[in-house]
This record gives sequence, C-alpha cells and structure tokens, in this order.
Amino acid sequence: MDWLFFGEISLAGLAMGGLYALIALGFVIIYKATRVINFAIGEIMMFAAYLFLAFAGGLEMSPWVALPLAVLGGSILGGVIEKVMIRPMLGESPISVVMVTIGVASILVGLVELIWGADPQLLPRFLPREPVFIGEMYLAPKIAYGFLIGAALLILYLLYFRFSRGGVALRATASDQAAAYSMGINVRRVFNLAWVFGSLAASLAGVLVAATGGLSPQFGAIGLSVLVVVIVGGLDSILGALIAGVFIGWLETVAGAYLGGEYRMPATFAVLAVILVIRPYGLFGTHEIERV
Amino acid sequence: MRIGDAKQTYEADEAIWTSPTQKFWFALFLLALLVFPLMANAYLLYLGCLVGIAVISTTGLNILTGFTGLISLGQAGFMGVGGYTVAWFSLNTGLPFPVTLLLAGLLAAAVGILVGLPSLRVKGLYLAIATLAASVFLHFIFAEWESVTGGMGGLSLEPAHLFGVTFQSDFRMYFIIVPLAVLMVFAARNVFRTRIGRAFIAIRDRDISAEILGIDLLRYKLMSFALSSFYAGVAGGLFAYFYRVVTPESFPLSMSIFYLAAVIVGGMGNLLGGILGAAFMTLIPEILKLLTAALTPFYPNAPVFMSPMLEIIFGALIVGFLIFEPHGLAEIWHRIRRFFSLWPFRN
Amino acid sequence: MFRNILKSGRRLAGLGSLVAALTVAAPALAQDKEPIVFGGSIPLSGVFAFAGVHLHAGLTDYTSWINSQGGINGHPVKYVMEDTGYEVDRSVAAFKKITGSNTVPVYYGDSTGFMKTIASELNSRGTTLMSGASFATALTDNEQYPYQFIPGPNYSQMFGIILEYIASQGEGGEKPTVAFVYSDTEFGKDPIENGKEKAAELGIDVVEEIVTKPGSVDVSAEVLKLRRVRPDYVVFHGYVLSPINEFMVQMRQMGLDTQFMGTFWSSDKLIIDKMGADADGYMGVMPYNYYDSQESGPMLDALRAQAEKSDPEAGYRPTGYMQGWFNAMVWTEVVKRTLDAGKELNAENMAASLASIKDWDTGGIIGVPVTAKNMSFPVGRIWRVNAEEGRYEPVSDWIQLD
Repeated sequence: MDWLFFGEISLAGLAMGGLYALIALGFVIIYKATRVINFAIGEIMMFAAYLFLAFAGGLEMSPWVALPLAVLGGSILGGVIEKVMIRPMLGESPISVVMVTIGVASILVGLVELIWGADPQLLPRFLPREPVFIGEMYLAPKIAYGFLIGAALLILYLLYFRFSRGGVALRATASDQAAAYSMGINVRRVFNLAWVFGSLAASLAGVLVAATGGLSPQFGAIGLSVLVVVIVGGLDSILGALIAGVFIGWLETVAGAYLGGEYRMPATFAVLAVILVIRPYGLFGTHEIERV
Repeated sequence: MRIGDAKQTYEADEAIWTSPTQKFWFALFLLALLVFPLMANAYLLYLGCLVGIAVISTTGLNILTGFTGLISLGQAGFMGVGGYTVAWFSLNTGLPFPVTLLLAGLLAAAVGILVGLPSLRVKGLYLAIATLAASVFLHFIFAEWESVTGGMGGLSLEPAHLFGVTFQSDFRMYFIIVPLAVLMVFAARNVFRTRIGRAFIAIRDRDISAEILGIDLLRYKLMSFALSSFYAGVAGGLFAYFYRVVTPESFPLSMSIFYLAAVIVGGMGNLLGGILGAAFMTLIPEILKLLTAALTPFYPNAPVFMSPMLEIIFGALIVGFLIFEPHGLAEIWHRIRRFFSLWPFRN
Repeated sequence: MFRNILKSGRRLAGLGSLVAALTVAAPALAQDKEPIVFGGSIPLSGVFAFAGVHLHAGLTDYTSWINSQGGINGHPVKYVMEDTGYEVDRSVAAFKKITGSNTVPVYYGDSTGFMKTIASELNSRGTTLMSGASFATALTDNEQYPYQFIPGPNYSQMFGIILEYIASQGEGGEKPTVAFVYSDTEFGKDPIENGKEKAAELGIDVVEEIVTKPGSVDVSAEVLKLRRVRPDYVVFHGYVLSPINEFMVQMRQMGLDTQFMGTFWSSDKLIIDKMGADADGYMGVMPYNYYDSQESGPMLDALRAQAEKSDPEAGYRPTGYMQGWFNAMVWTEVVKRTLDAGKELNAENMAASLASIKDWDTGGIIGVPVTAKNMSFPVGRIWRVNAEEGRYEPVSDWIQLD
C-alpha cells in the first residue's frame, strides 16, 4: 500500500468534503427552521456560479468583487423562492413541498439555459495556481484555497448562529415554533432568513465547486451527493452536516481513486442505505416521536 | 355532486358506473381508442403509444404516491428492471410477449418489495431518499453487469411476438399497449374497491391511525410498493418492445421526476388524474414545438429557446399545480363536467 | 454591457436560412423534378445545442449551395428538420413526423441513442439511409445497422488514428506510454476496448484507465493517479470540455510534460475559447479540415463562400458546421450515384452506392481522397492547438486506417 498516495487522495477528498459540509450546512439550516427538504440546492449553487461568471467574465469585474455579488445574488434568490413558492405551501404535506422544490430546480435550470445557454463554461481563474504541498503530499491549489475560503465562511456562520439576534431567533424557531411565536419572534421572517442564509452557504460553495470543476446547466446534479451527506449526518444536525460532509467527500474520492469513477455514487449511496436501515434519522439527527 | 344522486346501497356507492350516460361516453371513448390507429398518421400513432406507456407507469406511481402516500424517486429504475427483463428473455428464450411482460412486472415487483422494506422504519422524505438510492444502485447494475445487461451499450431486442405474429410496427404495438393500459387502469380502479385499496388510502391519510385500526402497515406498504413496481415493470417492458433497445441511459432519474410530475399535474390519488397527467406531460414538448414553429417566422431564434422553455414550463407546472390546483387536472375536469351536468344552473 | 452578460453566442448562425428551411425550402429552380428531401432530427436546444446549431447551419448552407449548383441531377434539394432537444423520444417523434409527410431518402440522426432506437424501423422501412452526429463504433456493424453510416472514422477508428500517431512519436525504439480518460457513459466507453487492443497491437503500454462522470466533477484524485504513472500521452474521450481542462491544468501544475489528446467532439474551438492559454498544445483528431485552416480546395472554398454569404457576421464556423456539411455531401454523392445507375432511391441501393465510394475527392473538406469502408470513412489527422493564434494546426499527415 502506497501511504503517500493514500494520504494525497484522502487530502483531496477531505478538501472536497469541506465544500460538501458547507453546502450541507445550507441545507440543514433551511430544514431546521422550516422543515423543508430543499431539492433545489444544487440549482441555487449553479445559479450563483453563473452569476459569478456573468460578473467576473462578462462584465470583467475583479473576481473578489464578483464573488460577494454572486453570493449575494444567490442569497436573494433563496429569499425570493421562499417568499413566492414555498410560503404558499405552508401547512401542506412535506411531499408536496419537496415537489415544489423539484419544480423550482427545473425552472432554475431552464432560466440558466435561457440566459447563458447550454454550453459548458469555465469560470475565470481567481484562485492562486501554485501547487500546495503539505509535507510531501500534493494538493491541487484550487481545492486547497476553496477549502480555506469555505472553512472561513463556515466559522463565521457558526459564530453568527451562536451569538447574533437573528441566529438565536433561528435556533429558537427550530426548537419550538409555537414558543418562539409566542415570545414575539417573527416566525415568517425567520423562515425567510433561513432560506437566505442557507442559500448563502450554497452559493459560495457553488462558486468554489464550479471554479474547480467547470459549469454547465447539469451542474445541479451535485445536489444528489449533498442529499447523501445530510441524510447520513441527520437532517436537522449542523454537527452532523459537517462531519458527514467531510466523510462523504473523502469516501467518494477514495472510492473513485481505488475502484474507479463508476463507484463514486454507489459507494456513498451504500453508506446511505446502511444508515437508513440502522439509524433512520441519521448519525446525529433527532428522532421524532409521532403521536396521533 | 350530481342532483338526485343519493346512493342507497354500498354496491351503488362502490359502482364504477353511476349512470347510463357515463357508460355511453365511456363506450364512445373506447371506440375512439379503437378507431384512432386507423385514422392517425405515423406521428400521432407514435405519440399514442408513448401516452399509453406513460399512463401505465403513472397509474403505478399514483398507487404508491397518490393513494398510499409513499413518495418514490425510483420509478425509472423499476421501469428499467422491466425493460431489461423483457430484453433478456426475448433475446435468450424467445418467449411470447404476454409471458415476458408478466415476468417483467413480477421481477420489478420483487425489486419494489426489496426497496420498500425500509418503509416501516423510515417514511416520508427519508423513504424518498431510499428509493433514490435504489435507483442509483439499479443504474449501476444496468451499466456494470455486462453479461446480462450488455453494459453501457445496452441490449437490442426482437419485436414482440405471439402465435407467430410479430408486433413490429407502431400500429401493431398500439394494439398491445393501449388495451393493456385500459386493462391496468381498470385493475387499479378495482383494487380501490377492495379492502387492500382502502387500506392504502387509510395509510396515506394517517398511518398510525391506520395501524390502530388493525391495518398491518408493513404488509400493505410492501403491497403498495409491489403493485406500483409491477405497473412500472410492465410499462418498462412495453418501452423495451416499443423502442427495441434498452440502455442504462434509457431510464434516467429525470424520468422518475417526470412521472412524479405527471401524477401531481394530473391529480394525486385520482386514477383519472394519472391518465390526464400522463397524456398532458407526454404531449407538452410536441405542443410547444408547434408553438415554436408558429413563432419562428416572426422570431427566428425561437427554436434555440425551446428546451429551456420546456424546463421552465415543466417546473412551473409542478409548482403551479401544487400551489393553485393541488387536485390537478382531474379537478379541472370534474369542474367542467359539473358545469355541463348542472347546466343551466350555476351550482 | 448587457450583451456581455449574455455572452455565449446564442444566435443561430445563418438564421435567415433557418426560416427558409422550416417553411418551404424548395428553391426557385426551373425544373419540375421531384425535390429530394434531406430530413433531420436536430438538437437545436438542450445539452447538445452547442454543436446542434452549427451542424444545422452546415446542413442549411449546403442545401442552399447545392441548389445554386442545380440540385442533384436536376432535382432540387429540400431540407426538413425538427428540433429534438437531444431527447431520444422527441427525435423519434420528429422522424415519424418528417418521414410521414415526405419521402425522405437521407436523414440526420442527432444521437447514438436515437440511431440505435430507430434502427429496427429503418431496417423494416428500407427507404432511408441515415447518418448523423454519432460516430459510435456499434453503428458500423452492418448486420444490425445496414442503413446507417458514419461521416468519418468511428470512435474506435479515431482512437486508432490517435494511437498510430502516438506510436510514430516514439524515440529510439521506445514506444510512448498512454492513459485513457473517459466518461462513464455509453459515449465515453465506446472505443475503450478496441483502443486497448489497438494499443497492444502497436506495442503501446496503456498505463492507466480513468473513468469519471462527464461535466463538473472534481478530478484531483484522478490527477494524483496519473501523477503516479506519468503517461507520455493522455487520451480523453466522452467529454465536451470539463473535466479536460482540469486534468491539463493540474497535471501541468505538477510539472508533468504529458501531452493531451481528444476525439472529434472534444476537438472544437470551444476548448480554445474557454481555456485560453491553458489549451496550448492540446491535440485532437479531426477528419475534416478546420474552417480556418490553411488548406484549400474547390469544395472547401465553396463552403467558406457559402458560410460567408449566409451569415457574414458569424466568422469562424465550428467543427459541427463542417460535420453537417460533409454529411450532406456524402448524401448527395450517394443519391447521385444511385440515380446515375438508374436505380430506385431506396436504402439498399443507396447503401450499395455508399460502399462503392472509392478514392473520392472531397474537394478539400478532407485532405486526401477517401474510401468508404464498412459504412465509415476511417481517415483523420492530428491537429494541435496553437493558443496564441487561437486555432488548431495540423501536426500529422492524413492517417488512413485499413
């Protein structure tokens, strides 16, 4: 066994996993606050990445201006989706709401194709290109820097949730909606806020992932990998999203490297199937007790 | 509700036909189905067959999602099982089509039961994800089990045959597909007149209450999975006979979503809705193409925007129906019917 | 500024002619002979639209050109197409619609999936010869697909040409090593088995095989694998753009001096446009001369003139355009040969005419006279990207396989 190789592969996988964790975080925030599984998260990522392309490529802005603008655009998109299409579904069965997000995903794909065309695209380069070595291990620079930016946002995020007023309101709503409501928290605003913040994390991750792998209207398929992450980690657990994100990213990469690219998806979905059977609510999720 | 339609017995309440008028219109509809292939050109005939296959598969998914409340993202995978079963048996055994289609349905049902097994422990969205996992595995098997499935290249198969008659043309396939579709919709209708069907509906409405009432949840959920996958398997088998080639790429995830959309647009938990939804969703691209063709002389770029528009319309239909008309096309249909049967009164 | 945001070349090149094609393309020829119909399932939208719009323009322009030359033996040519969005079921619908209302001797299929699906119908109809966007190896199986041909080398033959080129690059009896990188699709896996056989035949060592999903994926782990084996050449297949760029950039960052090569659909200008300087040195196998190559010939000049005429603003025309044009050229030749022999225009006679094509001068579209073998034209040339000039330049002679 070539340990250096294994180390390098693992490192690449962990870095990718970091980005998964970021997307999963966006997913979990939305779910925690609003109980909506957002199947459109991959498409929101895609939309933000296209915005970045338009700002940095089309309008030739500096990438460091374009990046926040694109992320902002993605967050606003999330807020708009919530307001226009999710809110009318309040109180409907979860299945219907999920289907709405699937419809939203399709609309976003169509919009992107309409505006930017179906051609594959590459983002303008904005991350340093010098190889990164950790000890003797090589790490692709895009992934390394992508990971660092993602991790920075992740930390900011967690701090925000811990200490800010909005973060507290969000957590309060998640833990007991009725109580939060009676304490004067504007639950509707919190729902909207959750979508904005969830989309923010997804948007940043979208730009970073597209920067490493290119962009096309099929980009949203990455949402499937993220779905695995959140189910394994537990839909309502931020810790679970982080751990499972890193783990699934690592597993996918290692399976791809040792078994071949066709094994990436089956490997992670096998983990998913096992989790569903032994711990249906994920590693760190809350087991809900149903009453009649 | 019709005027003067007070039912006095359970039999009357459960009856499929509530009035002679209904029987008359239905007979006319069957006659139209019979005459259609004689009048239609190759293009319409082809679309007719596509709609027939879609109706079978949508009805199957409707049983699971619309009537039992179990959402499935694995429909395309189950259809794939059916398609490959038919392809394999037709290549290796030369069995006639009724047998291979039955086998396709049964094998798909078996796979459906396997996939449904977690349904006692997980439900709702978690179950949807389990079916998604199943479709990923099935795709993997189709692509990698080369000795049976032919790998990525897939399998090409012989035309369907029975008693020495081969069903090579769309015209002949129509006479397999459409009668089978009618038959299977009727079978589904009858299921919902029995204890089994009522149990499905009870589970959908509140599974814990249903269990308290003495319904064995696992058994009925699995039954629903099996029945639904059986329909998918038969539809997949017909798909294989119709196109005479199956590859792993014939049954993508987007196909599962297509059928879910058909169920929603048509009307969840309504068999008529499934039929309307399947026909509507299958024909949309063609309708849109007519529109683009009409627009092209004035706006030459129109064809370029057709695919994106299709994606947008597809999504907007799902969202729009869920928000504004959750009971789907079936409800619109009922409203129109009510209007005519009550005319000249408003309601 | 707004145009900049939307920069993606969404115009249909040669649009005026599209309207004509969709309505009545029959030109103002004096003859009262029956028009010959070129049918087509064309992916004007959807994932393959980047090529679809151009091959449509190629077919349209060729139709105008041949009609300006008096049609085929005095028969005017009419091009009838429908958009498919690159979906098999819609392609089939288009086929039924077009063949239902016209007599269609030749037809353009937009995907391997469609061409395989329609094969049984094509065989039983026996009226139509088909070629199209697919170079799938399977379609050259004359038993199963007697009426479908490939307008160039099939994917396996492209690999053959690439490998022959690689073999010729060895120094001092040492053969270079090669790695195959392909997508996890029917398209991607098509030539791999044959490619390995061919490599063994030529004594080239295939040191690594990598399968990925097409499109946006992270390939850093795969790059690490290639770093271990250090192949002299990497051959890509089954992609349009991503992840080719990522492999090239990352492997160069590692300091590897690997050469990168690809097949037809990944040898378009798109690679240069999107990758910029990173594309430099990338090599592709191409059976046709590029639109902006130094080569010339009567037909190539006619093509350029016609392209210029139909859309003066379009400038460079991508490989899809050449592909569409060449398809129509072969159809014309086949129809002409069949008519000249006084035979009926059916699939069998046309397939025989196609098989009879020997040392055919394509007027510069392909640089050497070509011969049809097994319903394909196994000839091609290796071209290399000169990023500074923004185009592909030939680095080998025309390579013909037997």
